[in-house]
Amino acid sequence: MFRIPLLVALALSIAFGVGIVSTVSALKATVGFGAISLGPWVAFPDAQTENTDPYAKAHRARAGKLLYGGAEGLQFTAAVDTAGERLSSGCSYDVVGLTPPARFWTLYATTANDQPMRAPAELPTAFNAWTVQRQADSAFIIHVSADAQPDNWLAIRRIGAFKLVLTLLDTPTAGSSGVIDLAMPKIVKTGCPDA
Amino acid sequence: MRSILFAIIIGLVGAALLHIVIILTLPQFTGKDAYSRVLGLYEMDSFFSLTNEPGPTGLSNDDPFLRVAVCSFAVTGGPTRFVAKGSVPFWSVSIYDANSNEVFSMNDKTSVNGNLDLVMATPIQLVDIRKTPPESLAQSILVEMPEEEGYAVLRALAQTDSFEEPVRNFLSEASCEPFRR
Repeated sequence: MFRIPLLVALALSIAFGVGIVSTVSALKATVGFGAISLGPWVAFPDAQTENTDPYAKAHRARAGKLLYGGAEGLQFTAAVDTAGERLSSGCSYDVVGLTPPARFWTLYATTANDQPMRAPAELPTAFNAWTVQRQADSAFIIHVSADAQPDNWLAIRRIGAFKLVLTLLDTPTAGSSGVIDLAMPKIVKTGCPDA
Repeated sequence: MRSILFAIIIGLVGAALLHIVIILTLPQFTGKDAYSRVLGLYEMDSFFSLTNEPGPTGLSNDDPFLRVAVCSFAVTGGPTRFVAKGSVPFWSVSIYDANSNEVFSMNDKTSVNGNLDLVMATPIQLVDIRKTPPESLAQSILVEMPEEEGYAVLRALAQTDSFEEPVRNFLSEASCEPFRR
């Protein structure tokens, strides 16, 4: 007797359940198509434009961030290290190398949900092209760790997964597809004292 | 048994349709998009400097070295002029329409004399300005605004704490006003 209503209820619950879950997870998983990835670093140079895909438009409307225009800069984020493993605040990492050509760059850490890390103000939580200490060949090594480190120490909090954000300001990288040949700094895991 | 399979297939087709509908319509109804957040600051026609902590609508200086000011504007009644002067290491400005699509962006190296002087206008207003160019706009960059409403994002770089004050002054003195001849 209840066969037909039961079947309708089954179809509807699958439609709404799968539909909503797949949408939310798709918007959480990625900013959209059109990513350029250089090792662990991912950027979306067209995410703020009219020509971007519907996923990117939905994502940016939901996140409500003020994106960077083409002449302003390009923001790279890394959620994994160079070996492809998820960045975890229980471990220490070295960010080694040089950035692509840009007027200026900044590096800081965020939580896995792109929210600010909120570390105490007296800790060094961000670096830029001026404040980083370089080696003789102008490359840099930045130690990302929750424990104090010598030289360039980027302090993070023990919050589980985190992301690194590297912003290149006024970079020719933003407007070109030649970005694929450019070298980004490597993110090398140096150890997990807690594990 | 066959009818259960049929119901599951119908459900999955419905799920795919719903997925597409949500993705396509989401920008219209989130209420959290960047333009709504800028409008929620109730600062029409002047730049509003964001703080390091999230403000009433959740906007903040995301980058620890960049100070950001936003301004919502409309070119319905006339062109809008953006002016900022001062010596900061780097500044950049982006103009977005109400759907957060980038209309125009520039930085200090692509400006005239390193100062921001930008006029956003509808195509008809632009024709009017070009026919009889006002003297005050001789150095201005004129850009066509495809839609009537939008917002501007002005960023300035303070790479060390000593740049904080000039950068704050640069942003607080920046103007975003309707242009009148």
